[in-house]
Amino acid sequence: MVDLVIIGGGPAGVTAGVYAARKKMKAVLITDNFGGQSIVSEDIQNWIGIKSIAGFDLARDLEDQLRAQKGLEIIDGDLVVKVEKAGEGFAVSTQRGKTIETKTILVCSGSGRRKLGVKGEGPLNGKGVAYCSICDAPLFKDKIVAVIGGGNAGLESVRDLLQYSKKIYLMEFLDVIKGDAVTFENIKKDPKVEVIMSAAVQEILGDNLVSGLKYQDRKTNEIKELKLDGVFVEIGSTPSADFLGDLVQKNQYKEITVDCLTQKTSQEGIWAAGDVSSGLYKQNNIAVGDACKAVLNIYDYLSSQDIGKK
Amino acid sequence: MSNKKVKIYSTPACIYCKMAKDFLKRNNIEYEEHNVAEDSAAREEMEKKSHQLGVPVIEIDGEVFVGFNRGDIQQALGL
Repeated sequence: MVDLVIIGGGPAGVTAGVYAARKKMKAVLITDNFGGQSIVSEDIQNWIGIKSIAGFDLARDLEDQLRAQKGLEIIDGDLVVKVEKAGEGFAVSTQRGKTIETKTILVCSGSGRRKLGVKGEGPLNGKGVAYCSICDAPLFKDKIVAVIGGGNAGLESVRDLLQYSKKIYLMEFLDVIKGDAVTFENIKKDPKVEVIMSAAVQEILGDNLVSGLKYQDRKTNEIKELKLDGVFVEIGSTPSADFLGDLVQKNQYKEITVDCLTQKTSQEGIWAAGDVSSGLYKQNNIAVGDACKAVLNIYDYLSSQDIGKK
Repeated sequence: MSNKKVKIYSTPACIYCKMAKDFLKRNNIEYEEHNVAEDSAAREEMEKKSHQLGVPVIEIDGEVFVGFNRGDIQQALGL
């Protein structure tokens, strides 16, 4: 049985790994990848200590610092799929069939892309349904596409696609655009862009490739269809904590509720830090601080347990 | 050292492509890269092999992977 399993390899997970190693805890870090969500940022200017860094470079630096820790076991290229109570601790199971028994857990699994959850989205993923405009925009040259979501990510997605696609529908569920007003005004001026407000996407159509989209006009309740070749989904993120089931309490946003003094969850033995936790403001710098706090508190917890046993 | 044949279909600005290439380089794996944003023949080849339009697509000795999943690539390369 190990002392601690750290779940995640973003800024919070890496911080936890570094501090756990320095405290000489017997710890295992499990992650599918390193760097967290800001890996896609072109330029991060608020990472304290460095004036400007690309998300990709930050991810590399984080991985390198983690790998430099002595005594820390790293399982990468794998994902935690289940956490259960087992004896006096927990059993953590991974997608690739590993099970690790541990006294404590620090959940730093962050957030993942939110899906529309409509018919056709899953089967047509990669077949016209896309989640990374900067990656896939060149493949939609001279095609008709829709961008779902009028937040900043959606607006940037439209901007990426403008260089390639011949027609872009920007679809927003609400009757206001929440993204940056200046960017929106610029996009709207382009004759290739058509903005559709109050649109509830109901289904993505197509057999082998996307051929269209069905939506409801929320003002008139009318069901409408668009002919399309691609759908870019940009509707924000959702915490990655399904593998915990009902083991810990979550809030209305499905974030793990934590005590902000210690990062403890409602379940004794489990802590959480970073975007997956209920703390206000999702920032790299906050994730790092919270994870540091959590590991130090876990260290105290384990030390007091040892004393109790003696 | 792996002597498997590795091919990657990518676009220039795609961060997951960059991650995949960096991962291969760090593990001393040689690969052949095709920029599907410019090379339409490669794009067709990629669509035919992967039955989809997203990048990166990584081919390892004929086995095709869509996206960069570190675990899958590690396994395919025996790392």
